[in-house]
Amino acid sequence: MSVLKFSKTHEWAQVENNLATIGITDYAQKSLGDIVFIELPALGSKVKQGLQFGTIESTKAASELFSPLSGVVSEINKELINNPQWVNEEPFVRGWMMKIKFENNNELNSLMDEAAYKEFVKKEAH
Amino acid sequence: MPYILNTEKDIKEMLEAIGAANFEDLFKHLPREILLKEPLRISSGKDEQETRKIVESLARKNLPLGRFNSFLGAGCYDHYIPAALSYLIGRAEFLTAYTPYQAESSQGSLQTIYEYQSYMCLLTGMDVSNASLFDGASALAESALMSLRITKKKKVIVSSSMHPEYLRVLETYLSGLDFIIKEIPFDAAGLIDIEAFKRALSDDTACLALQSPNFFGLVEDVKMLSALTKQKNALVIMVTNPMSLAILKEPYKCGVDIVCGDGQALGGNVNFGGPSFGFLATRNEFMRQMPGRIVGKTVDCQGKPAYCLTLCAREQHIRREKATSNICSNQSLNAMAAAIYLALMGKEGIKEAALHSMNLAHYLYESLSKINGVKVIFSNTFFNEFIWQVEDAKKIIRKLRKKNIIAGFYMGDAYREFRDCILSCCTEKKSKEDIDDFIAALKGVLNG
Amino acid sequence: MENKVIFEKGKEGRRTRYLTKPEIPLKRADELLPKQFLRENLNLPSLGELDVVRHYTNLSRLNFSVDTNFYPLGSCTMKYNPKVNEALASMEEFTHVHPYQPSTDVQGALELIFNLEQILCEITGMNRFTFQASSGAAGELTGMLMIRKYHAIKKNKKTKVIVPDSAHGTNPATSSMCGYQTVIIESKENGLIDLDKLAKSCDSEVAAIMLTNPNTLGLFEENILKISEIAHKIDALLYYDGANFNPLLGITKPITMGFDAIHLNLHKTFSTPHGCGGPGAGAVGVSLAMSDFLPAPLVDKRGEDFYLNYKIKHSIGRVRSFYGNFNVLIRAYAYLTSLGADGLKRVAQNAVLNAAYIREKLKQYYEPCSILPSMHEVVFSCSRQKARGASALEIAKRLLDYGMHPPTMYFPLIVNEALMVEPTETESKETLDNFIEAMINIDKEISEEIEKVKNAPHTMPVKRVDEVYAARNLNLRWQSPGASF
Repeated sequence: MSVLKFSKTHEWAQVENNLATIGITDYAQKSLGDIVFIELPALGSKVKQGLQFGTIESTKAASELFSPLSGVVSEINKELINNPQWVNEEPFVRGWMMKIKFENNNELNSLMDEAAYKEFVKKEAH
Repeated sequence: MPYILNTEKDIKEMLEAIGAANFEDLFKHLPREILLKEPLRISSGKDEQETRKIVESLARKNLPLGRFNSFLGAGCYDHYIPAALSYLIGRAEFLTAYTPYQAESSQGSLQTIYEYQSYMCLLTGMDVSNASLFDGASALAESALMSLRITKKKKVIVSSSMHPEYLRVLETYLSGLDFIIKEIPFDAAGLIDIEAFKRALSDDTACLALQSPNFFGLVEDVKMLSALTKQKNALVIMVTNPMSLAILKEPYKCGVDIVCGDGQALGGNVNFGGPSFGFLATRNEFMRQMPGRIVGKTVDCQGKPAYCLTLCAREQHIRREKATSNICSNQSLNAMAAAIYLALMGKEGIKEAALHSMNLAHYLYESLSKINGVKVIFSNTFFNEFIWQVEDAKKIIRKLRKKNIIAGFYMGDAYREFRDCILSCCTEKKSKEDIDDFIAALKGVLNG
Repeated sequence: MENKVIFEKGKEGRRTRYLTKPEIPLKRADELLPKQFLRENLNLPSLGELDVVRHYTNLSRLNFSVDTNFYPLGSCTMKYNPKVNEALASMEEFTHVHPYQPSTDVQGALELIFNLEQILCEITGMNRFTFQASSGAAGELTGMLMIRKYHAIKKNKKTKVIVPDSAHGTNPATSSMCGYQTVIIESKENGLIDLDKLAKSCDSEVAAIMLTNPNTLGLFEENILKISEIAHKIDALLYYDGANFNPLLGITKPITMGFDAIHLNLHKTFSTPHGCGGPGAGAVGVSLAMSDFLPAPLVDKRGEDFYLNYKIKHSIGRVRSFYGNFNVLIRAYAYLTSLGADGLKRVAQNAVLNAAYIREKLKQYYEPCSILPSMHEVVFSCSRQKARGASALEIAKRLLDYGMHPPTMYFPLIVNEALMVEPTETESKETLDNFIEAMINIDKEISEEIEKVKNAPHTMPVKRVDEVYAARNLNLRWQSPGASF
């Protein structure tokens, strides 16, 4: 069974067993504008919840990418590096960034579900 | 004369329109206690004729190089500049435009800067160049900071045969940060002391910053030094004179990671030292760590080729405290002048300028070496300047100056060990006669 | 038609001869240096002078510039650059003196720097100036490194620099380069610094507060003396980013406002041309207490002679080779000589008048960012226009069709859809009226024929340039066809 979770820094995590696919939300891509560059971590590297795992740049902004969960990078979306526009076009589908194996299920509890995230975004927009 | 077009009538109308009685009203929200009570104590305004007279009277107190037979170089070179260059670079559309933020109204400056970047890549062999930095010294400092960001290491190794003022600037730039500068000496040949370098090189070394041709004019074995540096996964930064690259091997082919330096030799006046421009070129993999502006070629919305500033997310106006540098204004006009200079000179012209300079300098070296009491202390593996030794060098310089000869840069001002040495330089503006006159005068001074 | 790059215009064998062949037997490079040090080829184009002159003349004509167009680029002070300054700066006696000539040969250059320093000291109230910095940002670095040294010598433990959220990006970037952490203070609704928030952030580890005044919203920080008091109470220093000094010339002085270190952008306030982005010059001035930290050398006078003084007690060192952008200093000096005390005050007055006039005439169409009066520039928010379908960027691009350079866009960051208009004092009422009319027209076009605005510009050498394509498909240099790269 898969669950979709969200962080306050606007990353999403699609969780299935102990594997999480991670990207940024539609709200995040819209506020960044046209994405032109993405830097992703190396395979096998460790990421930590709330800490930086990469960088994303648009023509008008640059931002750090924060991992919603701790774990080991098991796959990265290599094609995304050459097609950063996918993050704008399909942030939840072709715009995924990395898959991580995570261990600590407690971390999941600190993330928001879709309804809570929608509410969070509504507040942040004002 | 404040060059203001508003007439008294305009001013009256405008004040009325905004509901102000007078100029004072425009400043009435400023705290009273900070307003000046009396006019500034500087002289009153002047018309153009008088302004000219005042500034020209200062100019007349200067003695420009044209009055002398000068052999001064040391990082600032008096090359021949085609007349067309000042004509083109003085065009108001270049001179009085701002940074090309609005691409559609700046295609002229953008394409020229793109051509400048391309020229620097062709000269250095590197993949990518920025649009300029302030000068050679700050370009070195920015290169060092770049290497520290890339390697995430702590130590910068730098050779003391680097231009002494560049070294001072590097120290200043790094003084607020938690990094180490390790200065390594030169050997008896005036080149980097390899053993000292090997001792300094360690796992925490971010880069070796060297200059070639170095401050003494000598060409270093950059390829060998690069190979050594790479053993510790450190980068090689090479400061160079871009004019020398018309002849010398491309730094890229010598294993250099960042090439930088001062571009003054490419069409710049000596200008009492400024403005010139700093250049910085590197490999593709380090592109996003470069400081400064970069122009890219793109298309307009109808697919027609066009140019604009790009890779802006590195810069201060977007990344603010996390920017690669704080640089905003650079030295665009000087960099653009370098591109135009290279275009005017052309492939053959620039090679000639470099080759003539080098030949004349070697002729001077040979001539000096034949004089009793003069010693050329290093080998002849130099580009267009070299050091020579003579007793009482400072006094000799003064005596030659009385004969309207500027012998060169007094090395004792920068190096304790060279108290009897002079750094002399030739550009293609020198003639055989100039050099022969210098030699004759020197003989006269030594024998008199 | 595409403008070919210079590299595609070359032809083997074509050239203009500029250099005289020396009368010595010329040796080849490989006769003078070991072959391993030499390059094998040099792939530069060969061109004749007419090729080059026509190429760059035609390129220059694609640009907007102060001499050809109204250029109200906020924060950049694009005032007219008098031509006599150019004539004077290009005199051989200035362009052909070498930085290492003995001081006896360059008395005029040294005297000019000395005089310029005296004038700037009087205008600002600061004790001394250095001219080594080549730009405003380099000036900030110089000033902040001096502040760092000040604290180091007093053994103050300082880690932070406070910067308002309206600040130029160079301020936080500079503070990072000095090893300080940047603390951002949110501005109040009216655009000024929030004194309460400032006081709360000002703990003993604050090294400095960096301020622009008028700030980047064109508003005068009326509480400047209180800010200075808050800073100095904890031995934090006040740094003045002088980018916006134009409207205060002869009105007040930075020292009176409580600043300890400042920089002035000679290429803004003192009318030296911007040259497509530089060279500029950042003159850095400091109070008496900070003068021992200045970069060496300074120009001093001994009897009737001027000399380079390297004996600065606690100098931070050099920030540039030689003595800065000397040739830019000549222009600033000529400008100041020409204006004099009376002229400078009129500059400030007319700069503010021109901005206030634009604001008054446009305020019913475009929303001023604050209810407070504007100084030399006025920041509008185009949110009303955005709601009707046109962004600040599109309005800016449409202005190009009216033959005017757009204002600064999307800065300061705290104003939505910002357009920052700085007309400067040298523009006439007629030019301002034309601009006002154009802006009102564009506002009308948004209602009536919005496509005209959205697809602007229509009359420029190129249509809307695709910056996203540029960033996604990086092409940063010309490649010879067939080059493997």
